[in-house]
Amino acid sequence: MNGIGTSRDRRGRWLWIALAAPGAVWLIVLFVVPFYAMLAVAGGGINSFFETAVPTWNPLQWSSANLSVVWQDIAGTGAYLGAPALRTLLYTAAATIISLAIAYPVAYFVSRYAGRRKALMLVLLIAPFWVSYMMRMLAWIDLLQQGGFVNSALSFVGLSGSTDWLGGKSVTVIFGLVYGYIPYLILVLYAGLDRIDGSLLEAARDLGLGRWRTFWRVTVPLSKPTIIAGTFITVLPMLGDYFTNQLLSAAPGTTMIGNAIEGQLQSAGETGQGAVVSLMLLVVLLIPMTYYALSTARASREFA
Amino acid sequence: MPGGHVKLQSLAKRFDEVTAVDGISLEIEGGEFFSLLGPSGCGKTTTLRMVAGFEPPTSGSILLDGVDVANWPPNQRNVNTVFQSYALFPFLTVAENVAFGMKYRSVPKSEVTTRVGEALELVQLAGYGKRRPNQLSGGQQQRVALARALVLRPAVLLLDEPLGALDAKLRRTLQVELNGLQKQVGITFLYVTHDQEEALTMSDRLAVMNHGQIAQLGTPEHVYTEPADAYVADFLGVSNLMEATVEAAGVGAGPCRVRLGDFLLDAATGEVRATGDVKLAIRPERVDLHPHETVGANRMPGMVERLVFLGSTTQIFLRLANGAALQALVRNDGIGLPYRQGTPVSVALPADALRVLPDPGVSVAEIHDETLGDRLLDPAGAAPV
Amino acid sequence: MAGATSEVLSAVPGGASSARRRRRRGNPWRRPWALEGFTWLYIVWSIVPVAIAVLFSFNNGASQSTWQGFSTKWYVGNSVQSVLHNPSLHQAVVQTLKLSILTTLITVPLGIGFAIGIDRWRGRTSSSLNMVMIFSFVVPELLLAVALFLLVTQLLKFLTLGTTAEVAGLVVWNFSWPAIIVRARLVTIGKTYEEAATDLGASRLSAIRRVLLPMLMPAIFASAVLVFASTVDDFVIVEQLSSTAATQPMSVLIYSNVHGGLQGPALNALATIMLFFSLAVALVGFVAYRWMTRGERSQGATQALTGIAGI
Repeated sequence: MNGIGTSRDRRGRWLWIALAAPGAVWLIVLFVVPFYAMLAVAGGGINSFFETAVPTWNPLQWSSANLSVVWQDIAGTGAYLGAPALRTLLYTAAATIISLAIAYPVAYFVSRYAGRRKALMLVLLIAPFWVSYMMRMLAWIDLLQQGGFVNSALSFVGLSGSTDWLGGKSVTVIFGLVYGYIPYLILVLYAGLDRIDGSLLEAARDLGLGRWRTFWRVTVPLSKPTIIAGTFITVLPMLGDYFTNQLLSAAPGTTMIGNAIEGQLQSAGETGQGAVVSLMLLVVLLIPMTYYALSTARASREFA
Repeated sequence: MPGGHVKLQSLAKRFDEVTAVDGISLEIEGGEFFSLLGPSGCGKTTTLRMVAGFEPPTSGSILLDGVDVANWPPNQRNVNTVFQSYALFPFLTVAENVAFGMKYRSVPKSEVTTRVGEALELVQLAGYGKRRPNQLSGGQQQRVALARALVLRPAVLLLDEPLGALDAKLRRTLQVELNGLQKQVGITFLYVTHDQEEALTMSDRLAVMNHGQIAQLGTPEHVYTEPADAYVADFLGVSNLMEATVEAAGVGAGPCRVRLGDFLLDAATGEVRATGDVKLAIRPERVDLHPHETVGANRMPGMVERLVFLGSTTQIFLRLANGAALQALVRNDGIGLPYRQGTPVSVALPADALRVLPDPGVSVAEIHDETLGDRLLDPAGAAPV
Repeated sequence: MAGATSEVLSAVPGGASSARRRRRRGNPWRRPWALEGFTWLYIVWSIVPVAIAVLFSFNNGASQSTWQGFSTKWYVGNSVQSVLHNPSLHQAVVQTLKLSILTTLITVPLGIGFAIGIDRWRGRTSSSLNMVMIFSFVVPELLLAVALFLLVTQLLKFLTLGTTAEVAGLVVWNFSWPAIIVRARLVTIGKTYEEAATDLGASRLSAIRRVLLPMLMPAIFASAVLVFASTVDDFVIVEQLSSTAATQPMSVLIYSNVHGGLQGPALNALATIMLFFSLAVALVGFVAYRWMTRGERSQGATQALTGIAGI
């Protein structure tokens, strides 16, 4: 805690500060400042000739012009942002619930019952991390095409084999979200479930509880913090997702809020609004982000 | 001054509100094996770390051969440390570990190899140069740590409970070896330990520390037979502390008369001129047992409560007539003991072994806290016989 | 733990009769076959589609769904459309490699310095900086990408969109890998070894160089591998900060050509190459890690990964 290794040793805190400085400066310039830039653009104006955004750097001069346009787009007449926002929430909720339903049993099995094959199973569970998101979506694009494997299999069983899965179906997007984000969820759940003291479960069985009861009344409550952590890990990136929809659907009827932001940034004169919507999303996510950040900080301290 | 002379002057270290070392002063001669002894938290390790340079002192000075190094960084002091966890660099071989420090003394390559070889021979690990630390046993790792420090020929070698992680038998062997090594090399050793037997065995002199201060400093014999207070008496082996009242204080160097319950005894050592309530201490090996009804000076009736066979000696737990609990230690010299549990005996406490100690202001039971596990008797005592 | 015990106790039913009833329902310690089957089903569902996609990159025809025989035309054979010969495909491979190598080379040293510095520099500034670092990977990538885009186009205009901006953004996004993993290992190592080094004559910098860094090598390697693999696959930040087609890495190229453009299997080939890069680096890293920690027990990386999971 004290002594030559730490800065309590007045003789030379400079060394530690100097070591941390390059990284710290990079973080500040390229992480903190960009968000300030976002605020400045959101509260800024438009160069009406070039239709480019003009950021206002002084907080006292921030205007709410962009904000009112966005609000109109969400709630006013001719609103077009409301639908993607709602859809985002819906897709995320559905995808998260489905993911939990699949991930929990798998994580539970591997952590408690895998026995000798635990290492092998862990490798297989971790494998998707090394596969890019692109490839994983690409795989399903191949399979869901007209004339692809899925449709062939369906017609083989007697069901309709001509569904256009990639033509703008919400089901496909939700499916893509589940497939894309579930590996993270499984690993988080696994780590948490693995930590549950086995002797507690044995004690429950010893005291007369059957398997189901032990699970519902003991395991699940004990894994509640893990489930919350896992939910955050899944929901946070999902709410900003836009590429899953773009890859698996690309139809206007399935756009998410991420797509809207993308669109605004590409459109001339709408950069400011893009910034506003991004900030809105940021504000919504601030609480889960802070919770997640604090628990990570706590976790790394526990290993001290 | 001969090399390796260490002088601490009013050395103190405070961490926020906690005072770890409370202004201690001591002097270690060059070539001496000096121990800092005390329980955990007494400040001995902090003192060592200040001498090594890992902690800057809050106040005071550390004079190494006359130079105050208190604020020097550790790499500039001619002092080396053997850590409790050995701290051998796992990615280097034994030889590379030992050679590590020589790079900073610009030792030419050929000489490095020679010196490494010498150091390894000194610690009886010749030929182990190519091994890695994780291939060695605890005792061997400790020797490599020693070699690594000694090869640099420091003025003082600091040892922070180096034998703590080893089993009892290995510890005893290494104690003897370390002592021999120190005499052979002639370097000052500053040794930190909580094991009083270790300190007594190995040291030329030792300092008993308590709550950041030195309770007593002296040779092992001196500190053991003439403890300055109840704390020191009880830390170094069994002290058989008893509560007593002075009936007649000693005149000059003469003994004082003390009352234990219904009995009056002479106590000839320690604070013989003290008055009022005092504590008495006597070493178990000085307690003499004779058959019941034996008459003589400085005796009290007592009863044997328990016998514990220790191999070469037997521990006899006694209850004195005034209720005090006592331990006696008898050599097993082939003649069987005539005592059994429940045997009444006459307990002789020779006046020259009975020591009067200044009352440290705490009860006997509190001082005995650390040895409570050893005590099977209830200090509240029974009625006098 | 007290809470956990109360869960167990509160769940226990009152009657011995219910226990008797349950005992009649077969072996309570039987293997959960249903659960196991479900798990294997998940694993198949997770991996097989990707395997099929890899397979189809070797398809002899232009279809991504009908197998027409084995061929390497999409990689090297076809003089027009293969990755080797098609200039935009070729360029994308090079760009991906360029980005990954540059990002790794910058991120890892910055992260190491940050980890060591923050660990030793106690104080409010240091813990705030640490929090900033943690937020940098908690934030959704899209929001960071948008913020960086605005920064580059509105403020730091000298950082033109393109490779420079992409690398700058990727460094921030991946900064937490070395920062957290090295820090975790640092905590395990403790400061005794550096103290021993300074005791033997080393200055603090020399102690870091000769003792601490060698001991951190496994963590450094692990984080380098993760940064590299993460950058190979990265899409959001790169897309946002790219300028012309020349600065498009493989991930962006696939994205823009999925709905027409390039022939299907060519995309599969690109994706397979990306996979190959990631796996190759993972293998090298794994082997190097095992070699470096031979004879040493090290838990740093696993703990760090769990730490990132926020548990």
